[in-house]
Amino acid sequence: MSERKIKKWLENMYNCPYLILVMASSLIAMLCFDEIGIRVFDNNLSAERTVSVVGDIVRAEENQTPGEPPVTLEEMPSTGETVAQIQNEISETMQDVQENAGERREENNTIEENNNLHVDTETEEMQEKQEEMVKGVTRFLPYEPLETDSRYYSDAGKIALTTEYPYTLANDSYFNDAAFLGDSRTLGIYDYVGLDGADFFCDNGMTIFKLLKDEGVTEQGTGQKVDLKRVLQERQYGKIYIMLGMNELGYGNTSMYMQEYLSVVQQIRAWQPEALIFIMANLHVSREKNNMETEFNNINVNDKNVASARLANGTDIFYLDSNPLFTDSEGFLQSEMTFDGVHLYAQHYDKWRQFLLEHGVERPDSKTAPAMGGEDQGNMLNTTGSAEDSGTGVTAITNEGAE
Amino acid sequence: MLFSSVGFLFRFLPIFMIVYLMIPAKYRNIMLLAGSLIFYGVGEPYFVLLLVFSVVVNFALSRYMFWEPKSPQNNRKKKAKRRRKRALILSMVFDFGILFVFKYWDFVAENVNGLAGKRLVPFLALALPLGISFYTFQMVSYQMDCYSGKVSERTGFVAYATYICMFPQLIVGPIVRYGEVSERLAERRIRVRDLENGLKMFAAGLALKVLLANQIGTLWNTIMTAGPGNLHVSVAWLGAIAYSFQIYFDFWGYSVMAMGLGKMLGFRMPRNFDDPYMSRSLAEFWRRWHITLGSWFRDYIYIPLGGNRKGSARTICNLFAVWALTGLWHGADWNFLLWGLGFFLMISLEKKTYGKWMERSRVLGHIYTLLLIPATWVIFAIADIRQLAAYLGNMVGIHADRVLVGTEQLARYLKQYGILLIACVFFITSFPRKWYHKWKDRWFMIIFLLVMFWWSVYEIVVGSNNPFLYFRF
Repeated sequence: MSERKIKKWLENMYNCPYLILVMASSLIAMLCFDEIGIRVFDNNLSAERTVSVVGDIVRAEENQTPGEPPVTLEEMPSTGETVAQIQNEISETMQDVQENAGERREENNTIEENNNLHVDTETEEMQEKQEEMVKGVTRFLPYEPLETDSRYYSDAGKIALTTEYPYTLANDSYFNDAAFLGDSRTLGIYDYVGLDGADFFCDNGMTIFKLLKDEGVTEQGTGQKVDLKRVLQERQYGKIYIMLGMNELGYGNTSMYMQEYLSVVQQIRAWQPEALIFIMANLHVSREKNNMETEFNNINVNDKNVASARLANGTDIFYLDSNPLFTDSEGFLQSEMTFDGVHLYAQHYDKWRQFLLEHGVERPDSKTAPAMGGEDQGNMLNTTGSAEDSGTGVTAITNEGAE
Repeated sequence: MLFSSVGFLFRFLPIFMIVYLMIPAKYRNIMLLAGSLIFYGVGEPYFVLLLVFSVVVNFALSRYMFWEPKSPQNNRKKKAKRRRKRALILSMVFDFGILFVFKYWDFVAENVNGLAGKRLVPFLALALPLGISFYTFQMVSYQMDCYSGKVSERTGFVAYATYICMFPQLIVGPIVRYGEVSERLAERRIRVRDLENGLKMFAAGLALKVLLANQIGTLWNTIMTAGPGNLHVSVAWLGAIAYSFQIYFDFWGYSVMAMGLGKMLGFRMPRNFDDPYMSRSLAEFWRRWHITLGSWFRDYIYIPLGGNRKGSARTICNLFAVWALTGLWHGADWNFLLWGLGFFLMISLEKKTYGKWMERSRVLGHIYTLLLIPATWVIFAIADIRQLAAYLGNMVGIHADRVLVGTEQLARYLKQYGILLIACVFFITSFPRKWYHKWKDRWFMIIFLLVMFWWSVYEIVVGSNNPFLYFRF
């Protein structure tokens, strides 16, 4: 281009304010914001760094030694060996790699049944030992984990099953002192299950990270945004149902999710010492929606579910997995039950209603939740001192039977 | 690559435009072609080869049409005519053949197998190459224009390939005729004002797509998520209206973006939408909705079949063919065929019976169109025939199942989407477009467009970082 031409161009440019504004603001934005910026390569690097840090955290958690702060979760080292043995036995029958974490194969059923039998005898034994105390067990069904390379999740390598407990059949009035906290799926329960007595605090896109924040949650029925912190301090509930995790699939990572879940549950426990807390499993997604290329798949959902299920202690915190009602033999949400692969059609919430009614927990009159006797340590919570003192009793978990 | 993506807005477009403007004018076609293939290849690394192959074959066949052997013969004209016909048929078989294999094979296989009761035809399960319906139609239009003599001069390969592949219209149209861009293909000057106006137009289109279509789309999703069979009449209509808005602003937004980009590259893209929801009959609606597709079917199917000049029985047959094909063009499923034939029925009725009578009242025409259009979009949107029947039933108050989504949810939806719905209603009128052209050089409009642009970018970035914010339901 000649000099004259450039000069003319510049003159013209002066008459094009929009062009100048867009170009200038784009330049500034690209320098300032990594999302659109020219530093995108840098951004990618830092993402990789996060992955490795996360990996370290997870590993550190797995090999945790006693004496750590009570907030962290751990599996009891003493059960570790026996668990490993059981897992080996089971994994022999489940050699093939599974595409879908939520998969429940035919072979598993026998294992599940065995486990059930197991619990029955176990609980009976327990009942003999401690007559008034019934304690649920949350079991994890191991399988061969897949290699994943997502910054959001890893394959948990196990499926969390509904806490085993002698549930009672409840009626509608059971939910009169219940509160449901959750996202759009909980909104679905509010809309279509028809538990009129319960309070619902839920919003589309709600996450565990936002639940107790100042922005608040919509109280369905009144339609008002309320600060859940205040509500939970003012009203006392008998049961609190929490179902959150789908909007977290692409946010942070599973260990952050678990930390946050734990602190939310602890917080609620502090405000609501009498309430039973039900952690509800996140619904699996349909085959069409399941995408291993993104973070939107059942491995991730299951990872979140397993993380939240680890909080269940079987005395006042229970894990409820309603997925078997809605999934096919491979663990995918059945396509004919959903439009978007994530939410159930209104008419299928009836099953969910039945499920909730069937999983009622009758509270013993007095809230005595002492740690189990020394001989049972293997299948009990590892309640570290400080947590017990504060009366939270949420601290930690292992739930495999110790045989 | 989509226009509404960070990769396009902040990587491809600035780099491409800088190079495109810097290089001498004679290299701009080849630069545009290369850029377009990159643009396509980023998203479709394999199908870009199919695109190139199709372009080469079509170009060869178009050259064959114009080819004149040197030796003089008595029946030269006749032979030339036969050759042109052969080339045309070959190119149509090739173009439609590829389109058929990729788009319709499995649909046909499914139905043939279903009828036969056994697996006669194997399934191919091929992915659909991006934009194939659009570029195939554009290629066919070129061959037809060559055959009919509308395109008389031989086009160079680069110019032809650029015409087919140029990225503003490659993926979602408009379906450009060669005659509309041939002059600019040969020579074009890009003034700074074109960049300015093109960018403004692009921002407007981006805002339509991201701020209106994407947002109102979640309302339709929310309602469909609850289930197509359990809706109160009002909710069913709200859903249909939401989907009508979504599809219009989505498509219109893309078309406006394409026009803006075309302008920035020195072309004039044809207009694709002319306030279609303001029509007073369905026939008029289709003259104002996706104009380049409607005129394609008119010029290359309806008129060659005889149009309306061969008696009313033949006219009806021709209309039937056009609408069945229009339906199938949008997708290989029964609901699309049904959708097309719905238009056939209504437009034939308009032509033959109440059309004249309806012209007397403007209001009546508007009401008629605005009532029917959401219903047609529901047919378009729901592929499952049972669900479709349930939804349409809900719209007229027939419920096979219990009504689970009623007035309480309606109130919530209206509270949540009320302002957006009002904005959508405003944007289907002709005011925004008129005001844009009137004031596009005024400061407040420039600031407004700038704000809209960055707001759209914000929504895109938030969505791409956390795709689940799209699932705010």
